[in-house]
Amino acid sequence: MLKKSWLVPLAILSCSLILPAAFRKEDVRVFKLDNGLKILLLEDHDIPNIALYTFYHVGSRNERPGLTGVSHFIEHMMFNGSKKFGPGEFDRKMEFAGGSNNAFTGDDMTGYTDWFPAAALEPMIEMEADRMQGLLLDPKVLESERGVVASERRMSVENNNDSILSENVRATAIMAHPYHWDVIGWMSDIQGWKRDDIMNYYRTYYSPNNAVLIVVGDFNSARALELIKKYYSGIPAGPPPPAVTTVEPPQMGPKNVVIRKEAQAPSFEMVFHAPNCTSPDYCPLAILDLVLMNGQSSRLYRRLVRDEQLAINVGGGISETIDPQLFTFSVKPRPGADLNKIEAAIEDELGKVKSAGITEQEYQKALNMIRGQFYFGLQTISGKANQLGAAEILYGNFETLFTQMDKYAAVKREMIQEATKKYLTENNKTVGKLIPEGGVK
Amino acid sequence: MKTVAKRIVFAVILALAAGLAYGAFLPSPEKLTLKNGITVYYLKSTDLPLISFRMWIKGAGYVDEPAEFEGMASLTSTLLLKGTTSRNADAIAEALDFMGARFSVSAGDEYAGINGESLAEHFPKLLEIAADCLRNPSFKEDEFVKERKTRIDSLKAVKDNPGAAIRYYFQKAYFGSHPMGHLSSGTETSLNKLSVAEVKGYYQKFFRPERSIAAVVGDIDKAKLLELLNSTIGAWNASGAAAPLAPVPALPKPKGAKLLLIDKPDATQAYWVLGAPGYAVGDAMTPQATVLNTLFGGRFTSWLSTELRIKRGLTYGASSSFQTWTAGGLFNASSYTRNEKIGEMLDITFGLLKKVRQDGFTPEEIESARNYIQGQFPPTLEANASKATAYARLAFYNLGFDYYDKYLAAIQNVSQATAKDAAGKLIPETDFVLVVVGKAADIKQQLEKFGTWTERKITDPDFQ
Repeated sequence: MLKKSWLVPLAILSCSLILPAAFRKEDVRVFKLDNGLKILLLEDHDIPNIALYTFYHVGSRNERPGLTGVSHFIEHMMFNGSKKFGPGEFDRKMEFAGGSNNAFTGDDMTGYTDWFPAAALEPMIEMEADRMQGLLLDPKVLESERGVVASERRMSVENNNDSILSENVRATAIMAHPYHWDVIGWMSDIQGWKRDDIMNYYRTYYSPNNAVLIVVGDFNSARALELIKKYYSGIPAGPPPPAVTTVEPPQMGPKNVVIRKEAQAPSFEMVFHAPNCTSPDYCPLAILDLVLMNGQSSRLYRRLVRDEQLAINVGGGISETIDPQLFTFSVKPRPGADLNKIEAAIEDELGKVKSAGITEQEYQKALNMIRGQFYFGLQTISGKANQLGAAEILYGNFETLFTQMDKYAAVKREMIQEATKKYLTENNKTVGKLIPEGGVK
Repeated sequence: MKTVAKRIVFAVILALAAGLAYGAFLPSPEKLTLKNGITVYYLKSTDLPLISFRMWIKGAGYVDEPAEFEGMASLTSTLLLKGTTSRNADAIAEALDFMGARFSVSAGDEYAGINGESLAEHFPKLLEIAADCLRNPSFKEDEFVKERKTRIDSLKAVKDNPGAAIRYYFQKAYFGSHPMGHLSSGTETSLNKLSVAEVKGYYQKFFRPERSIAAVVGDIDKAKLLELLNSTIGAWNASGAAAPLAPVPALPKPKGAKLLLIDKPDATQAYWVLGAPGYAVGDAMTPQATVLNTLFGGRFTSWLSTELRIKRGLTYGASSSFQTWTAGGLFNASSYTRNEKIGEMLDITFGLLKKVRQDGFTPEEIESARNYIQGQFPPTLEANASKATAYARLAFYNLGFDYYDKYLAAIQNVSQATAKDAAGKLIPETDFVLVVVGKAADIKQQLEKFGTWTERKITDPDFQ
């Protein structure tokens, strides 16, 4: 119920412990071309297919007012023509060769995900390389695609009350940092982006030194590397993209958002400023997230959904992001539920963690969940490619993937209590309520 | 983290592929028989320390619900996890979560499915809990009341999301009083009529070991697995008589255009779903129909996606699919666009339906679809859970474990002529059901030319 249809879960809750033979750090071959392109190759011959993932270090974090949503728009335009392959040709050629693809944009990264039979490796590499630098941005196609993204925004935000509230809460809680806006961007920006600005943005961020290429599947590494060199070596390195320098100032008191609109059921969200993914406080809060909201035995599910019958579901948690973002409690209230009671119940549960911490049983359960998630994510070549790519973007190094579980295991229970006291505080809080008008009572 | 994707995921190939496979990628499983007669299909896979479990219980899906019990199959499935004679609901949730396992019981159309997946070390515990839930459910009144209320509240909330709600309206509009028109979730009206005593009776008559098959794929030896299964699932013995399962009546065939408009005054986009008769599971038409759908609305460069999204920017997503059951199947196409464009979008769609019936596809298109279906096939059976699901499905529908080899070979033989023939048989011309959810005040005038619409408000009870 709370899932938004355009969410692509990255499942980067990762860990290590006893890693199976099928996925070892030593099996990942790492290369870097002279132009700065980082390459990870992992042979896996279980099925005769390949996952080719290209991750760029660019997301809505790199945008500015007027150009919000442009990272995601470029992701769309990447399928609409580059130097050697005209509009639509990428998909036509790829599908003819038996391949399919998708792409996603997040706060911190943009990923292009291709899945194809082994024989299509060369054409896929050639097409991926071509669009790394040769995007056309044909004006007519650009206008048509603008309509697609506007439709996507209508579908995923404007006709989804939880998303409307979530966008408002985020923009209220985060004042200065570009995480202020959602990845999809504001509608007036979607309607107003100029071609020149889009092209400049593309040129700034789409260069070999700002990307990592991950190939997992049924190929020979020497041959794959040869092909990658053939098509990528001629692409010049670009100047390093500008750093994101805005730092979110501390919040100095609680904030509230109220939205009134036609709805059958209310929406509720409560957020707190949280540390970024490399902070020592990140893992303790990621464990707290599981204890409070993951599974039907979690504290808030039991209280809000089962015991007090105030909600249909709970979700959220800490964002795994490069810069500090939010710890979110996203609750789907029952029609007619008292939102103040939901707020008070969450506060009460946070108070309990602050005063008494979490139990040993809860701590072990969280570690087991993290371990399970990790393995479930490794069952496919695309799962492996995804985890490697996300680790590269967020931590600058895929090897962190193999030590993540050690990081979680090193968290002491007291650290969870301390982090809760430090971040989930009254002055750090923003509460959002969508209150139905009209509709069924 | 939040991400926004390029496109909707074209689930068609995957959904079908819940029923498709390839010899090389779907090894023949070993057949084990438990002491209570349940057949289990088993494959050892040691790549990861994981084990996947599937069990399908025939007759415990919504199609076989007695008419007055709409929503019963799903409600009963969920209540199985809400308490046994020795564990209460919280204890079950705690035990499952503690292992970091995945476990669910859910009612499908023709069966109830039990899906379990865990680290190998936790698998014995997972099976122990699964068997306890199946054998000793307590069906406590308070849990029944809670779960029913949660369902009714969710059904109200779903009306805030037109893209989700339209599926409920479509199912009702298309199937009417046919058992396939039962919403798995039930409706507010149907749920309010159910009692916990009826749940107990339904469970006893419809959740039956003698109608169950199972599959296990993962890191476990045969002897150990057999012992484990026999002490858990194999010890499940039902009491009393099973309800006889009547054959599902033939699916309804729309006559003329049945048009339904649901008014949602705050919608900024209009959503539509069009449906017409398809074909049954295992029908000889499957390969050509799959090629047809791939090209018409089953992938990114399909006609629907090209004309509605790529060329005109009218929508983020447009697609079509075939769904198949024992008694027949369904073709459906769907998309959405901003209010002022719905008339234009439907005109284009009807033009495409006509064109595919008349002209079919080019030889190059047919070749591309064949390559695409073959190329996208292996990943659909890559994970343990995918293989286990495939075994359960092939056994359930009696398709044989070489089904996918035959299917993929047949895909290679689909020609321009056979695909066009399939289009002539399966793509509707005048007989279909079309449901639109949107702001009536803004879209009604554009819809008039398509015929006479029945109009309802989204706030009207249930999904009629």
